[in-house]
Amino acid sequence: MAFSLELLKGNVKIEDCTPLLDDPKYQEKYLKLKDLLKSEEGKKKELKINIENELCDGCGICVTICPVNARYCYSILSGKAPDYPPDTHQLFMVKEGKCELLNIKYCRRLETEGKERECRVCETYCPREALKIEYI
Amino acid sequence: MSEQLKITCSGCSLLCDDIIIIKDDKEIKEILGACQKGINKFNQIKSKNRILSPLYKDKGGLKVLEWDLALNKAIQIIKNAKKPLIYGLSTISCESQILALKIAKKIDAFIDSNSTICQGKFLNIASEMGITTTTLTEIINKSDLIILWGTNIVESIPRLFSKILFSRGKFRMTGREIKNLIIVDIYKTASFKVMGTRDLAIIIRPNEDIELIKILKKAVKGDYTFPNEGISGIDKQDLERFKTFLLNSEHITILPGQALLNQKTNGDAIKELLELVNLLNNIKNNGRISLLMVGGHYNMVGFEHMALSETGKNQSIQFKNGESIKSDDNIISKIQKEDFDLSIIIGTDPISHFPLEISKILSSKPIILIDNKKSGTFLIATLILPTSITGIENKGLAFRLDHVPIQLKKIIEPPSLIQSDYELLQKILDRLNK
Ligand code: SF4
Ligand code: SF4
Ligand code: SF4
Repeated sequence: MAFSLELLKGNVKIEDCTPLLDDPKYQEKYLKLKDLLKSEEGKKKELKINIENELCDGCGICVTICPVNARYCYSILSGKAPDYPPDTHQLFMVKEGKCELLNIKYCRRLETEGKERECRVCETYCPREALKIEYI
Repeated sequence: MSEQLKITCSGCSLLCDDIIIIKDDKEIKEILGACQKGINKFNQIKSKNRILSPLYKDKGGLKVLEWDLALNKAIQIIKNAKKPLIYGLSTISCESQILALKIAKKIDAFIDSNSTICQGKFLNIASEMGITTTTLTEIINKSDLIILWGTNIVESIPRLFSKILFSRGKFRMTGREIKNLIIVDIYKTASFKVMGTRDLAIIIRPNEDIELIKILKKAVKGDYTFPNEGISGIDKQDLERFKTFLLNSEHITILPGQALLNQKTNGDAIKELLELVNLLNNIKNNGRISLLMVGGHYNMVGFEHMALSETGKNQSIQFKNGESIKSDDNIISKIQKEDFDLSIIIGTDPISHFPLEISKILSSKPIILIDNKKSGTFLIATLILPTSITGIENKGLAFRLDHVPIQLKKIIEPPSLIQSDYELLQKILDRLNK
């Protein structure tokens, strides 16, 4: 999982995966993946969280479920909207009925908060499919 | 100078009390925490759709009236009627609902709220059999299984999931990881998108919910094997999982919705569901199973309470000689039988929402509309009396969907010459009493 995350971010190349290179039974998959990633190879990618304004209805699920928000905004634990002005760590808030990304710095997918993790719950549970995690 | 206030949104029955607004003396500048549905309610303040003066329809079309004349007209129309209906009342404060009940008593009207075609059906049956209810706080802090039955709350109450399913709560802290979700519906609604791998999605054939409930009743009693072919389009494996969830979860909340209320089985599905809840509460040693009704309008529950305390009946009340009398009618049957000669519609739009044949009959008699926005009913009403928006331009009490009373604040001044439902209904009552 960690390797695929690094691969997506462009931090490592497919050649860095030893088992895939050594074992002949993975050769086909290796070539397929290499082909898929070819055009992107070597470019370092940046984490982006995109929120499609048109789709978002401000339900606040991403605000509540984001573990970083929950750690720094106490009211979120009981399902309430966070206080205002927002905590410096807060990632999302709902303003005028739409979700806004305040800053991405403390997202668990980045190293800022200690070890980076494969978190994706904001995207997984957005009922409107308005929120997307991307590497550009 | 701008200030920051914490207010309650009256956009739907969830009455979110965690909304932050930034405002100056005249207007609201920013709204934080409210969903799009809530914002739409605030947008009503300056909407083109807003009614800003009393209007009267005669042969020449709609005419603007002075307030005094408009009130006289209202009294004249009401006094000419022998069988008036009063309908709506779910989007006004409890104080205004009491006044509407007093007017109904004064003019021997039949009075009913939107609840009669919504959660009222459930409460009627529950009043005979008993019901275990719960509060939002209890669900947030204790629930480990939430069952949505025939309701798509992502659309109707947008922030409800965020509060009850994704919050951590005091005792469990882990939140979504231990809160399981079952959704029963006839197709995959937007609400299904919040389901995780452990949750259970049940797609059932229309009007067969009663079969599922009956079979679950048998199963939880023990010593029963589900048929191999499943039932009502549901696999045996999913039925087994449903049963396990019911028996092994500690605090279960069922949210019954419109799809369950409107079954062709005429309320029998509701009875069966209430029986299943009672049965499980008897079987369970730990925790309990309860119901949370999910009506849409922000003070639908309020009318049930006000009507019950004023008349002893929670809805569909017929007054005669100033007393509430026994009646088996509801708003639909009254209209169907054409047993009315005037309707006073308060804060709702039956012409757009009722079935066409019912709307046609309703529009054949005079209508007095009390509301703040133009609607289908506005287009055919005889007399239109505009009001301010409760929870924004005037204060008032409302009951949240879990029957908790919440005080709504006045945040800004209403447009000039526009009064609250309360002030308007009080004036009508005073003039009727003269
Ligand atoms: S991916 Fe980042 S923003 Fe999304 S929930 Fe996890 S920590 Fe929060
Ligand atoms: S979960 Fe999706 S729809 Fe809800 S506020 Fe976040 S981005 Fe918007
Ligand atoms: S869920 Fe309902 S009460 Fe809460 S902000 Fe949205 S419209 Fe307002």
